[in-house]
Amino acid sequence: MAEILHVGIDLGTSRSAISASNGERFVVDSFVGWPADMVAKKILKRNVLIGHEAVANRTMLELHRPLERGLLKEGSDKDVEAVRELLRHLLGLVGVKKNGKVDSGNVRAVVGVPAAALRTNKQYLRNSMKGIVDSLMIVSEPFAVAYGLNALLHTMIIDIGAGTTDFCVMKGRYPTEEDQRTLTTAGDSIDAHLLKLIEERYPQANVTMFMVREWKEKFSFVGQPPQRAMVTAPVKGVPTELDITNEIKAACETILPPVVETMLDLLSRVEPEFQERVRNNIILSGGGGLIKNLPRALEDALKQVGGGKVTYMEDPVFVGSDGGLALALDAPDSDWERLSA
Amino acid sequence: MRAGPNDRVRRQLMRDAVSDNLETIRGLPPRSVRPVPRAGGVWTRRLPLLLIPVTLLGASYLVSEPPILRTVRQPTAAVLHTAMIDSTEPVKAAAFPLAVRRVILDAGHGGKDAGALSSSNLSEKEITLDIERRLQALLKQQGFEVVATRNDDRMIPLRERARLANSSEGDIFVSIHVNSLRTHINSHGIETYYLGPTKDPLLTQLAAEENGTSGYSIADLRKLLDRVYADVRRDESHRLASAVQQQLFANLQTIDPGLENWGIKRAPFIVLVATDMPAVLAEVGCLSNEREAVMLKNPQYRQQIAQALFRGISEYAKKGT
Repeated sequence: MAEILHVGIDLGTSRSAISASNGERFVVDSFVGWPADMVAKKILKRNVLIGHEAVANRTMLELHRPLERGLLKEGSDKDVEAVRELLRHLLGLVGVKKNGKVDSGNVRAVVGVPAAALRTNKQYLRNSMKGIVDSLMIVSEPFAVAYGLNALLHTMIIDIGAGTTDFCVMKGRYPTEEDQRTLTTAGDSIDAHLLKLIEERYPQANVTMFMVREWKEKFSFVGQPPQRAMVTAPVKGVPTELDITNEIKAACETILPPVVETMLDLLSRVEPEFQERVRNNIILSGGGGLIKNLPRALEDALKQVGGGKVTYMEDPVFVGSDGGLALALDAPDSDWERLSA
Repeated sequence: MRAGPNDRVRRQLMRDAVSDNLETIRGLPPRSVRPVPRAGGVWTRRLPLLLIPVTLLGASYLVSEPPILRTVRQPTAAVLHTAMIDSTEPVKAAAFPLAVRRVILDAGHGGKDAGALSSSNLSEKEITLDIERRLQALLKQQGFEVVATRNDDRMIPLRERARLANSSEGDIFVSIHVNSLRTHINSHGIETYYLGPTKDPLLTQLAAEENGTSGYSIADLRKLLDRVYADVRRDESHRLASAVQQQLFANLQTIDPGLENWGIKRAPFIVLVATDMPAVLAEVGCLSNEREAVMLKNPQYRQQIAQALFRGISEYAKKGT
């Protein structure tokens, strides 16, 4: 009997994750790099590097983040190739061969992408992913999260990723335009803000965006600081300890006003009799959901409309890919046959 | 065993996700940029305005009737609304004498997509952006709000342009392009398009070239077009195209007496299909004609084109109010 492998993939701006029906789960940084020249190729001995390896060797690479700002740039062959390489790499990790097959069987994939990409690039995304798996379904990331958590009715998902923050109110129907919002205020904008603030305070320090991103992931918070954020960076070439607590707070809090405003606006558009239920079922997902004190800050903002409850995923890494896998397993064979890619 | 409500919702959502993907495979645009047939978009929001005079007329009619007729229940606004939406008769554009406040300007091509090129390498993307900026300034001076689909030299996908236009809730959409004729390089003229079907293979080819970056085929678009032919937006687009073309030709012919008037035409360009508001695409010149290419390089001539477009838009706006 032919073996069928179902996979759910969360194709994120910063990280991409895969969950497979064979029990395997992996996450990689969404970076794809090609050796910049012949010398780099000789040193690296590889044609393409993915994820952490690509970031670590970035000085020798032409580095791409294929879904920067939540969109796949149309007309950019390199970005399309980067998406394909990233998908092939993820599939390879769970045992899919280069021809898109598993031993004597087929691969069916549900790929979750940022909601903005789905709205504007859906056809392009689908064409870009052609031929990588046997059957393919593309859905918006917050929808995959909601499906995986079985949070399908009177729930709001706030998915704070790197490139975008996606909002989706689940009303027991497939989300329409009026149920969703996308902000470009997200992890990347916090990084940019934090880098600027650190450079202003420590002009002699030599700090890169990659260092800033690591520090943010370790220390991010809003409101009262849970601990001092002490980091080490070269100042005039000498490793020096820097206190960036205030900078982390200021950078992380930049996302609060737009996120609160959008959350309240979407809530106000929910039918009045269901507003309270939605207010008490707000789920934070994505890496940004791990910003300390963020759920409490959002709950404080909800007090002006009667209060509410915000929960966050302690392990947001696989919540999207697990949702995709659940969708992949639920779809009947007859539908998968029609979704051949 | 009976499935619980949550299982039913789950199955329904899964079916919706599948069907959304199947629509993508069939080449339909994302739901967000699809024109809403008849009852949707801008016109639905404006329809209640129309109900005011209709309701008033209805009330005065009832008052003037003999007493026996006064017992007839006055139709509610909801009933009137439904009746109008369900009508198979096309709604006349004249029923909507509404103001134009926000104009969406779309400079054709950009970034990697240079559009047409003259023999001296002057690009369509450069000309359209410059004219768009000039037109934007003229419109703003006169108190119009302007939203531009691009403000610099970059490629914006056609679907993204339509999405921006729709989300900005523009009153009208004007796309600026420059023609290039491979086989008639001595010809030069201007023409303005509005949404509609065409049987002209050359126009189909032109639309296909302009729609090249959209990912949808003309055949797929025909299915969509069936829903929008006979509506108000088509009539309004026709009126806007007439005003723009008339002003373009009248003004530019005084500078270039050899200019040909190729009139207004219907064609299924993506930006015309996927936008919710009256929309036109103006081909304001012809880069394949060397003499005109030289003129199009001249900033003063571009200013004249911008002014002609401005007059066309103003003319349309005046008649609408």
